[in-house]
Amino acid sequence: MNKILLIIQREFLTRVRKRTFIISTIMFPLLYLGLIFGTGYIADKTREDLKIALIDHSGLFSEKLVQLVNGNDSSNTLKLISENTEKTMLSFDSMGYDGYVVIPQNFDWKTGTDSLMVNTKKSFGMGAINPVERKVNQIWNKIKHDSLGLDIAKETILNKTVSLKLKNQKDKNANVVIATTIGYVCGFLMYIILLLYGSQVMMGVTEEKTSRIAEVVVSSVKPFQLMVGKIIGIGMVALAQFLIWIACIFIIYNIGKTSGAGGGNMSEMVGHIQNVFTSVNLPLVVGCFIFYLLAGFFFYSSLYAAIGSAINEDMREAQSLSFPITMLIIFSIALMTPTISNPSSPVAVWASIIPFSSPIVMMARIPFGVPNTVPWWQLGLSMVSLIIGFMFTTWFAARIYRTGILMYGKKPSWKEMIKWAFRK
Amino acid sequence: MNILEVRNLKKYFATQKAVDDISLEIPQGSIFGLLGPNGAGKTTLIRMITGIFYPDSGEIILKGKPFDPENDARFIGYMPEERGLYKKMKIGEQALYLARLKGLSRQDAMVKIKDWFARLEMDSWWNKKVEDLSKGMGQKLQFVITVLHEPDLIILDEPFSGLDPVNSNLIKDEIYRLAKKGSTIIFSTHRMEQVEEICDQIVLVNKGKKILDGSVQQIKQEFKENLYGIQLEHVPDTIQSQAFEVIGQNKEGLIVRIAEGFKPNDVLGYFMQQGININSFKEILPSLNDIFIKLVEGTPTARQFQTISA
Repeated sequence: MNKILLIIQREFLTRVRKRTFIISTIMFPLLYLGLIFGTGYIADKTREDLKIALIDHSGLFSEKLVQLVNGNDSSNTLKLISENTEKTMLSFDSMGYDGYVVIPQNFDWKTGTDSLMVNTKKSFGMGAINPVERKVNQIWNKIKHDSLGLDIAKETILNKTVSLKLKNQKDKNANVVIATTIGYVCGFLMYIILLLYGSQVMMGVTEEKTSRIAEVVVSSVKPFQLMVGKIIGIGMVALAQFLIWIACIFIIYNIGKTSGAGGGNMSEMVGHIQNVFTSVNLPLVVGCFIFYLLAGFFFYSSLYAAIGSAINEDMREAQSLSFPITMLIIFSIALMTPTISNPSSPVAVWASIIPFSSPIVMMARIPFGVPNTVPWWQLGLSMVSLIIGFMFTTWFAARIYRTGILMYGKKPSWKEMIKWAFRK
Repeated sequence: MNILEVRNLKKYFATQKAVDDISLEIPQGSIFGLLGPNGAGKTTLIRMITGIFYPDSGEIILKGKPFDPENDARFIGYMPEERGLYKKMKIGEQALYLARLKGLSRQDAMVKIKDWFARLEMDSWWNKKVEDLSKGMGQKLQFVITVLHEPDLIILDEPFSGLDPVNSNLIKDEIYRLAKKGSTIIFSTHRMEQVEEICDQIVLVNKGKKILDGSVQQIKQEFKENLYGIQLEHVPDTIQSQAFEVIGQNKEGLIVRIAEGFKPNDVLGYFMQQGININSFKEILPSLNDIFIKLVEGTPTARQFQTISA
């Protein structure tokens, strides 16, 4: 036992003392935020400002109406063309239009028509075409209202809509938006930690094997101790990194709170965090996250350790052997989106109980509330099955590991590795 | 007293009988040579003795008790043929870590490391990394790490490969010193001249089986071919005797084989009778190298794969 502690200590300290640990601890949240805001920014910048020529043969569409809707939404521009229609249709692109829409002569204000064609020379996504569609319909609505003789007051009455908001009677504080955000953040964080630290375990094992230190060490300790020590040590690094992030959030929150309404941004951020505190059971989420982080990490990293022990210096071998394991993690993250959109669906429930996907999927569900969305029995069953799961994978991996770590030469196939595992 | 006894040890792999019923005894304080061609099963045998592999069958008795890998690790120091250290770890920390894995306390380990580093002039290495060392320096470090915890049984697999003569001698002296202090040394190699020089006792294995066991002198006697070297003042044109035949000549003189039933005196008598002065006369014992080649010859140089039904 004492020897495992020594191994854990070494694995932990050598990693935490490295500059890359400090850099990644600081850089990761920045990159993460950068990714979220960056993609939003880029999407905003690259949005296409469509310019569409409206060729009206029906005579219903007027310049005034077109001006009105253009004023409401500047993301695209409609231009009513009444002269030189033939020429516009032929050479709209050289005239600066992205496309044209023809309103046929038989377009009736009461019945309209099923569909109109946007003629373009490039392809545009739905995101670009939908606003144009909305505008055309706005114009038609105006025409209908005018024809029916509705005045502005009546029009306003007709345009009134109501929005639906969810209120969970059992859980007064539930906030779907915050739960969704936290769910996504937890799921993705788990995904990244599993992949990143899992491959660290794999590379660490391979390094010990190829540098032949493994043979020196296993003459002092059992291979099992070496493997488990490495896994726990690296798991502790992952945990330490996570705890640093949590601590940072608390510090920012507290500084923000004491400095009061200092900066606008700061108090806004504090407000957001305050919202999160009141609407989500944060201690439970953090506690569960630590559990699933460690248990999920043990589950996957022991498999990665087994692969690490089987391969030699060639990193391509690592890729081909670890592919099935990596697929399991990617599959779990693919299950996260349907889970978040409906956290009580059967898929979500089962995926959060079955060990391989439970770390990611359950962490996406928990922010929606325990025990309302996730009953206690599901949480308990999920945890127990994950513990059984990682005990099995550790046992299985240890049997491959003890053979693989001293085996040089040809890369074994999965079939051979499974044979190693079940040999007496 | 024997520090290590191995009884009927077997280890079969899928395609090879790596160790096939080997028994041996190693007396305390001896320097013991484990010889054999490549692939004879030496490493597998050593891996069982160091607790890295479990034997399929057979017993290992260490210090009079059945070997318990977990608790007996501190009695054994093993230097594998393929040297291995953490390349990126500082040398001092690495030595400390590996010594503590053997079961030494931090304080004990520190004292011993300081002592060894000072003796082998390695003090300045403490904060260096292994990747900064030359191959020979790495070898030296590996040796120190192997013997640091003062094991009763030291197993060295090809300890001199890659060392220059100066460092070779340094290590050799340390080996003698350790043996004098009571450690037993198992020395696995196929470099026969070193074995002859260093080892008291040897075992020769081939194809997983023990084919020779005994002290170096005893084995040489066993394999001697009644060869003698004789140096004469001048060599006569014809030598005709029932007692011996001349089988060769080198710059030292003649090499003669004494026939069955005759004694060295008969050879000397023959030349004395002819009035030829004899400058020297000595027995030529076969070198271990010759014995090794003779015994191993005829078996294929590379071990063939075979199917094992176990």
